[in-house]
Amino acid sequence: MSNTLGTEPADGHQSQGTPGAGSAASSARPAPAPAAATRRRRGRAKMRFEIAVLSGPAILVFLAFVIFPVALAAFYGFYRWHGYGPPTDWVGLNNYKLILTDPAFQQVLWHTGVILVLSLLVQGPLAVGLALLLNQRIRGRSVIRVLIFLPYVVSEVIVGTGWSLMLQSNGALNDLLRHVGLGFLQADWLADPDLAIWTLLGIISWKYIGFAVILMLAGLQSIPEELSEAAQIDGASYWQIQRRITLPLLGPTIRIWAFLSIIGSLQLFDLVYIIWGPYVAGTAGTSTMAIYMVGQGRNAGNYGYGSAIAVVMFLISLVVALLYQRFLLRRDLQGAITEGAS
Amino acid sequence: MTRKTRRTAAAAIALGITLAATGCAGSDGGGSGGSSDGKVTLTLWENAQPGAGAEYWKAAGAAYEALHPNVKVNIQTVQNEDLDGKLQTALNSGSAPDIFLQRGGGKMQAMVQADQVQALDLTDADKANAGAAGIAGYSIDGKVYAMPVDTQPEGIYYSKDLFQQAGITTPPTTMPELQDAVAKLKAIGVAPIAVGAKDAWPAAHWYYNFAVRECSQDTLKKAAQSLKFDDPCWTKAGEDLASFIGTEPFQQGFLTTSSQQGAGSSAGMVANHKAGMELMGNWNPGVIASLTPDQKPLPDLGWFPFPSVPGGQGDPAAIMGGLDGFSLSKKAPKEALDFLRFLVTTEQQKEYAKAFVAIPVNKEAQAGVTEPYNVSALQAFNKAPYSVLFLDTEYGQNVGNAMNTAVVNLFAGKGSAADIAKDTNAAAAKG
Amino acid sequence: MSARTADRPQKWGNPFTYFVALLFIGVCVAPVLYIVVGGFRTNSQISTSPAGLPEPWVISNYLNVLKSVTFWGEFVNSLVVALASTVGTVVLGLMVSFVLARYDFKFKGAMYSLFAAGLMFPMVIAITPLYIVIKDLGLVDNLLGVIVPQIAFGLPTTVIILVPFLRAIPKEIEEAAAIDGTGRLGFFFRMVVPLSLPGVVTVGILGFIGSWNNYVLPLYVLNSQANFTLPLGVQVFSSQYSVDTARVLAFTSLAMLPAMAFFAAFQKRIVGGLTGAVKG
Repeated sequence: MSNTLGTEPADGHQSQGTPGAGSAASSARPAPAPAAATRRRRGRAKMRFEIAVLSGPAILVFLAFVIFPVALAAFYGFYRWHGYGPPTDWVGLNNYKLILTDPAFQQVLWHTGVILVLSLLVQGPLAVGLALLLNQRIRGRSVIRVLIFLPYVVSEVIVGTGWSLMLQSNGALNDLLRHVGLGFLQADWLADPDLAIWTLLGIISWKYIGFAVILMLAGLQSIPEELSEAAQIDGASYWQIQRRITLPLLGPTIRIWAFLSIIGSLQLFDLVYIIWGPYVAGTAGTSTMAIYMVGQGRNAGNYGYGSAIAVVMFLISLVVALLYQRFLLRRDLQGAITEGAS
Repeated sequence: MTRKTRRTAAAAIALGITLAATGCAGSDGGGSGGSSDGKVTLTLWENAQPGAGAEYWKAAGAAYEALHPNVKVNIQTVQNEDLDGKLQTALNSGSAPDIFLQRGGGKMQAMVQADQVQALDLTDADKANAGAAGIAGYSIDGKVYAMPVDTQPEGIYYSKDLFQQAGITTPPTTMPELQDAVAKLKAIGVAPIAVGAKDAWPAAHWYYNFAVRECSQDTLKKAAQSLKFDDPCWTKAGEDLASFIGTEPFQQGFLTTSSQQGAGSSAGMVANHKAGMELMGNWNPGVIASLTPDQKPLPDLGWFPFPSVPGGQGDPAAIMGGLDGFSLSKKAPKEALDFLRFLVTTEQQKEYAKAFVAIPVNKEAQAGVTEPYNVSALQAFNKAPYSVLFLDTEYGQNVGNAMNTAVVNLFAGKGSAADIAKDTNAAAAKG
Repeated sequence: MSARTADRPQKWGNPFTYFVALLFIGVCVAPVLYIVVGGFRTNSQISTSPAGLPEPWVISNYLNVLKSVTFWGEFVNSLVVALASTVGTVVLGLMVSFVLARYDFKFKGAMYSLFAAGLMFPMVIAITPLYIVIKDLGLVDNLLGVIVPQIAFGLPTTVIILVPFLRAIPKEIEEAAAIDGTGRLGFFFRMVVPLSLPGVVTVGILGFIGSWNNYVLPLYVLNSQANFTLPLGVQVFSSQYSVDTARVLAFTSLAMLPAMAFFAAFQKRIVGGLTGAVKG
């Protein structure tokens, strides 16, 4: 999951981009026309220069290392290419045809769908509930915040290494179950194909729920307290206040969190790669689109095919994001992705 | 005017970034050494485990440097499972090491086709040192593309102590005998056979060996050209494996067991007497030795060839095996070839054999092989009418990868015997 | 009735809240604690009783890791990469966000969309062609080969968090600055940078942690062990020494410490920064 916040202020600073200093002055008080024109021209030149200096480096780096590689992937996707030398064997859309008809890819889509939906259903309600609880005035709030954020801060490699040690069939979890008399619950958490995806889901929830809670807490804190105080005076119960006032106002935060969670699920890679390795995730039933890409691309040495998978992944992410934005995020994002900032 | 300003600014920024990038690009690994001041650096990628094997490479580098003061040998150990991927990206990007481990077969063929490796100009003395079989294994159309250093006949490694405890008197020679041994080992509470299915290929080797028994030499060879797996023997081999898996001979949780990494790996289980047997190539004694509690070779290790399968088309004495050898990337300096020659001298081969507990290619050094498991393996190898390269190497990375994955599925009960041939055929279309 | 219900949450809510909070914290912390505490055990303790406590506590695992050159080398690499990436992302991101928030020009919308679309490109998608670009620049096996792409991939998040912050700076301040004869650039350095600090800190922390934990890019770009960052180190270490589980756990614990400390030190800022960005 990416740690990002796709927000645009909802209160429409539509044309906040204030005009340059020169033109601001000219519109403020009408000055003799020729002088204003020169100043405006000079102002605009200066403005362009400033824009170039300020945004140039970022755009350059971004184009070179993000956009260009992605475009390159789209190009390679049309070739059968083993990664040695320049690609020469043009196969048109054949790679895409193979991907879409590959049963392994359909399986991967199914896993991704399961992880995506269940991540939302498990983490969402839990995070809102916990955030409501923790938003009350209790002692040690900042310590609590640090501790619940802990799994999010720890890297995927470490989380993966730690959990695989604990979940091995002769690992700590089974040992613990045996000791507390729940020995019948022991299982091969990672290798059993019927179980592995649930194990993965558990680890994902554990790892990312802290971020969800912190986000919800931040959302709750920006809800003015006067609202619930007023409702309380009007005789609303605690639960009524949460349901009628807090939750609706938390809506934008929840929708943004869900958006990030969805994008994260679509792009899940590190955890699965560390725990199951590059080969057996498909067999264990935990492979994701990115795992499929690395397996079919890099491990199999099919760089053209792998690039085509990258393009498919990107298109799926984009379509999901656009649909989500169109139907759910409209008010919150105000066209951040499609229509730009203006 | 404004346009110009903007363009100049952009150019200046671009220049700045390039300067920053090149200015700090003090790359100290991966690339090959220049020889501007007469000093040559050779970079070599190998896959040794920490311990005696890694020590050997250090010592060999140092010994060569002592003989040739103008050469510096830079040894880089790449974890075995990472090696192929890293090597491919490195070759593709022109940052390849001068000398690197070559697995042969379809993998080597892909490199040769892409003009990424040098053909080696070997003298008769070199050929004598490296042995005809090894040289043949690394030849394409009469040209040699890698220097072999050891030969790796594959078979089943077992613990003599555990066999004795379980009351198994002679190593199994047929499948029923192997199944009998499995049952007896289960009775004494150890895993009968360890397999590192997390790495896919160790599981797939079970399938390869059944295929060597079921398919004729001709079928195996033809498949390397056509990459079509339509002969019924391919499915038959899968059925043999499926019915063997049905007897539950492997350790618990084999799907998340790696093959060589640590005490919990399949080799580690053999090293610590947690499992009775493991099907592996000849590198296994060295790997096991690095995983025993005292990091010494396992004293009771034995070896027997893969059991015969009744009714198969393959010769019952045929053996599966690989080679370890080293190739030179296209821009490697001439000193690199000299270093390869140095590696197959009798002296170095003896050291190599000792460190890796392996079978060297040098005939004189082979005379020094005394470990009972290596002696059995060498005998079987010399007796075999033909030897078959590991199928994932033979058939190349793409097809091999698909075959391995399909076999792992079969292990986990997720696919059928027929799926192996089907998936493998499907993969051929992707690359 | 109304008074009673209004009071109720406070009366029984508190112990219940603490209980749930503790339970939740337990779930969050226990696995991490397992790793840390496991580092104080011996291998035989771990294999005979995987879920037990140290008996006795041994510190040799930690001491061994702390004495190893490998660990400190990787630590320094991670630190260099994380700091350089964070600074780079924040500086470039702040500059471009300022343009997007406070200038008016033709391609503004397109530019914003470009960066926002970057959210859809995780590094793993573009990793192979990205590797080729890095190679063409001669940055393979070089820390810059990790730093520069990380800056690039950090920009979308940064832009999206910072633009609202910069927009929220009242126009009057800028006008006042203009009247005082301060140009827009002067306004940027004197007013914008300090005022956007909460957002900058949030972006910086997320960037630092993201870089500290990044695995895929170093995996592709860095070849020699001398250049490894800690996540790669953890993985190599845990496969090379997995015989020695206790030492792997100690190594792992020490590897996660800095990111945790960094977060603990700035956690108030994070929630503050997110509050600004989320705007319920």
